[in-house]
Amino acid sequence: MDQEAQLDYLIDYLLNENPNTNGKMMQYKMDTVEDKLVLFRGLCNVRSPEPVTEQFIRVQDAFLTKWNNERLLTTLNDMAAFQPQLYLWQGDITSLAVDVIVNAANSDFLGCMQVNHECIDNIIHTRAGVELRLDCNALIKAQGRKEPIGKAKITKAYNLPSDYIIHTVGPFIDQRGVTPIREQLLASSYRSCLALADEYQQGAIAFCCISTGEFNFPNGRAAEIAIQTVKEYLSKNQSTLNVIFNVFKDEDLQIYQTLLGMKE
Amino acid sequence: MKKRGSFLFIEKNDEVYTLSMTPELQDDIGTVGFVEYIDADTLEVDGAILNLEASKTVFELASPLAGKIVERNEALIKEPSLLNSAKEEENWVVKLTDVDEEAFNQLEEA
Repeated sequence: MDQEAQLDYLIDYLLNENPNTNGKMMQYKMDTVEDKLVLFRGLCNVRSPEPVTEQFIRVQDAFLTKWNNERLLTTLNDMAAFQPQLYLWQGDITSLAVDVIVNAANSDFLGCMQVNHECIDNIIHTRAGVELRLDCNALIKAQGRKEPIGKAKITKAYNLPSDYIIHTVGPFIDQRGVTPIREQLLASSYRSCLALADEYQQGAIAFCCISTGEFNFPNGRAAEIAIQTVKEYLSKNQSTLNVIFNVFKDEDLQIYQTLLGMKE
Repeated sequence: MKKRGSFLFIEKNDEVYTLSMTPELQDDIGTVGFVEYIDADTLEVDGAILNLEASKTVFELASPLAGKIVERNEALIKEPSLLNSAKEEENWVVKLTDVDEEAFNQLEEA
């Protein structure tokens, strides 16, 4: 099967599996490979964590491996440390071939379920594959309640170029703004991820800007907390982890460069 | 004597330390709809006391002090929103003994 035939198979499977989504997805075009990719992603986004056939997994994994790896991937060796163990890198976290990437999850813990939503949770789950939601569902079911803010859980990264994903739920900022509790919870998210990466004896972890996107944490303050918490953790625990601050937006790149003294 | 730590009040009466909600924490989490106590009978510093789900957050309440749990506010399980009450006799969480008094004294004044 070529990539388009794989996509056709996957879309067909997902539509048949859940006829209810058929109506919702009617608006999507199917003319080009790009159209089909959008539809495939949307169908994966809304898919409930139900078992899936081995054949689906085979085709999906073949498709995702190619789709993920046809991009320029970045490893730790491609980056320069600005301080021992600390790195700053701008780009798509799903293209990082490092030990661990951090996902900004929500308390339901199943990955973003909004069709083609442009958030990190959505793209991580889409590119990892439907296995990731099944894993997350098993973890949260075993826990028996929603995922608290400031904690962390680890899963395999499935079809992503990284090995593991650590999922953490950062604090949400509403109209009442940043409070000391929320600041502490954001620091707690960073610490929980670092501790879990060390527990799993990983060499490198890439953090997204937790809580800044959909969760409205002000970018500058979030970056200060991120940098301070990571530095404190590494020195206090004599951790040998390499830590990558992964930024996506130019705004965050500027903030981190300024805070890290990399800019005039 | 009353102190605060980890966004909770800690009130010492004889050898019993009662942990209860601060207004800041109540404001931050919103109306509590679900409470589940952790089973363990002893607490470490920063150890989880209970998990709660509230209108604004999902939160694990952690203890600022190590100690032995001698009583839980069982009423919370049926009526989680008691944690939003302004009255300490309603919004208390656990009572501890075997607490290191020095650690207590070092907490911030309430």
